[in-house]
Amino acid sequence: MSERLGITEDDRAIADAVARFAQNELAPQAHIVDRDEIRTTRYASQLAELGVMGMNLPERWGGIGASPAALILSIAEIAKACGSTASMIGAHYLATDSILIGGDDMIRDRYLPDAASGAKLGAFALTEPGAGSNPAGMITRAEREGEHYRLRGVKQFISNADDAGFIVVYAKTDPNAGTRGISAFVVDRHTPGITVSAPEKLMGIRGAPAHEVTFDCLVPVANRLGEEGAGFYTAMKVLDNSRLDVAATSLGLSEAALAAAVAWAKERKVGGEPLANKQGIQWMLADMKLRLEAAWLITLQAAAKRGAGEKFSDYSAMAKLCASEAAGFITDTALQVHGGYGFTRELPLERLVRDARILRIYEGASEIQRTVIARAMVA
Amino acid sequence: MKVMVAVKRVVDFNVKVRCKADGSGVELANVKMAMNPFDEIAVEEAVRLKEAGIASEVVAVSLGAKPCEETLRTALAMGADRAILVESDSELQPLAVAKLLMAVVEREAPQLVLLGKQAIDDDANQTGQMLAALLGWPQGTFASRVELSEGQLKVTREIDGGLETLALALPAIVTADLRLNEPRYVKLPSIMAAKKKPLAVITPQDLGVDVAPRLKQLKVAEPAPRRAGGQVGSVAELVSKLKNEAKVF
Ligand SMILES: Nc1ncnc2c1ncn2[C@@H]1O[C@H](COP(=O)(O)O)[C@@H](O)[C@H]1O
Repeated sequence: MSERLGITEDDRAIADAVARFAQNELAPQAHIVDRDEIRTTRYASQLAELGVMGMNLPERWGGIGASPAALILSIAEIAKACGSTASMIGAHYLATDSILIGGDDMIRDRYLPDAASGAKLGAFALTEPGAGSNPAGMITRAEREGEHYRLRGVKQFISNADDAGFIVVYAKTDPNAGTRGISAFVVDRHTPGITVSAPEKLMGIRGAPAHEVTFDCLVPVANRLGEEGAGFYTAMKVLDNSRLDVAATSLGLSEAALAAAVAWAKERKVGGEPLANKQGIQWMLADMKLRLEAAWLITLQAAAKRGAGEKFSDYSAMAKLCASEAAGFITDTALQVHGGYGFTRELPLERLVRDARILRIYEGASEIQRTVIARAMVA
Repeated sequence: MKVMVAVKRVVDFNVKVRCKADGSGVELANVKMAMNPFDEIAVEEAVRLKEAGIASEVVAVSLGAKPCEETLRTALAMGADRAILVESDSELQPLAVAKLLMAVVEREAPQLVLLGKQAIDDDANQTGQMLAALLGWPQGTFASRVELSEGQLKVTREIDGGLETLALALPAIVTADLRLNEPRYVKLPSIMAAKKKPLAVITPQDLGVDVAPRLKQLKVAEPAPRRAGGQVGSVAELVSKLKNEAKVF
């Protein structure tokens, strides 16, 4: 089969293996996961056994040595089957990427192999009630007390928090130093003084609940990632990676929506003729396909830059922006093709629309992505 | 004991196959290919025999064009130890495949050869039987269970009337049916590791086998489309349609 630019035979073999698991195990449950808000963290150990939970890591810490393109394809396959599961994995990667990028070998050895094997799930705590798009505005504090830091503050929308084995928390070690005053810490979930709220009531990805988490606890100095003040830099690098994961999730949801729309248009008869014969419908399908392929290409381009070790912040921002906006358009248009049936909860279209909505918001809203792109041009 | 498994590269079972417009065959351009599902079951069985300590080595063999290497890599990722590609761009009919496999068997001397019961592209269901006949080995086709005890192979096979159990002396040929096992999910690290396992490429000439087709394929055509069904509103309407339209009573 002909492949998109830059995808190797190995990438395809890996994606096919993930697709098989996703279609057999995740897809048949996705409807129930959404309806009953079943946590997709239940899949973490199976996904770890397959090799997915450590796929973002080097082999030394339990990774599989896959290319960034293979990672993108695999996440897309999972999202095609179940958006919530892709989101759960994304949150885990945010945590483990933080340790990989910000930490030294000692802390990597302590946490990453367990994260890859499924023994411990990760969560990532950057956002606060008063600091979303402006992480520098965070007020969570980490104050040195001998061999520990006293961590105090509230983090918002923390995915996986309740089932996590560890949470990567970003906090101010120097409140007067702006972004240079932010440090990152790995905190064991069951440290006394951590309170995880009941999950938020979400519109979509309802199998990947987000929680408010309150910290008033002690963290050993050895659990700091890198130097004091290096946290913001780490977070930005982590987000470069995670935006590609969000782009991949967007592509997967879009693939699912478009496939459903094409099948429906060919099947559904209006006045004795398939819907697909109508030019109005054809143009919708064409626009969906065009946006999907464009999003694939820019995402694979970003992945190639990542693989080559180049700076790719602007490309990952473009990929995330392009793919998540495309997912909004494609899921909505696919629902439109289905007419009234698309609006029912019997078909997956309305779930795809709801699951896709967060992709334009989390890990940097579309507006922030534009800022990142523009900054790379004018800075 | 050494186990050999034959794996064929076929159109993925999820793909809706189409005939070429000129009737010369099935459209293969831009079509997703995969390992024949019954062969996957055969590989799984071989790997389980190895994991149980019964098989010492599992060798996967595929016959066909270069891309069959991908299919062999899948077998290696599932747990086969090494692979052999008999590379040929010609059309290989079951008799030619059986002759080639016989030549490989003579080189490799396995105690057990596992095949799929049929390849889902041509649905020939001939290769295993032909291979057994050529070698003069006992065969257990449509196996739903394979057990080895005291040097004898017990094969449970699915037949029209139910299940039949055969005892075969080794070496033997077994073809896998759907219920023999459920193939595992291939783990991603195994896919990476499979790249390092040995894969030898040989040709039909190396094996001294003439693969010229003995059968001529005249035309490939799509089956006539099924007429669309209708929905009935009530049992009474159904009964009346059965009586007056379908005339079943
Ligand atoms: N070209 C091939 N390469 C490897 N194995 C094959 C090939 N053709 C057939 N086989 C084996 O023979 C079985 C039966 O195929 P068939 O007789 O064509 O239905 C398949 O399930 C494979 O195990």
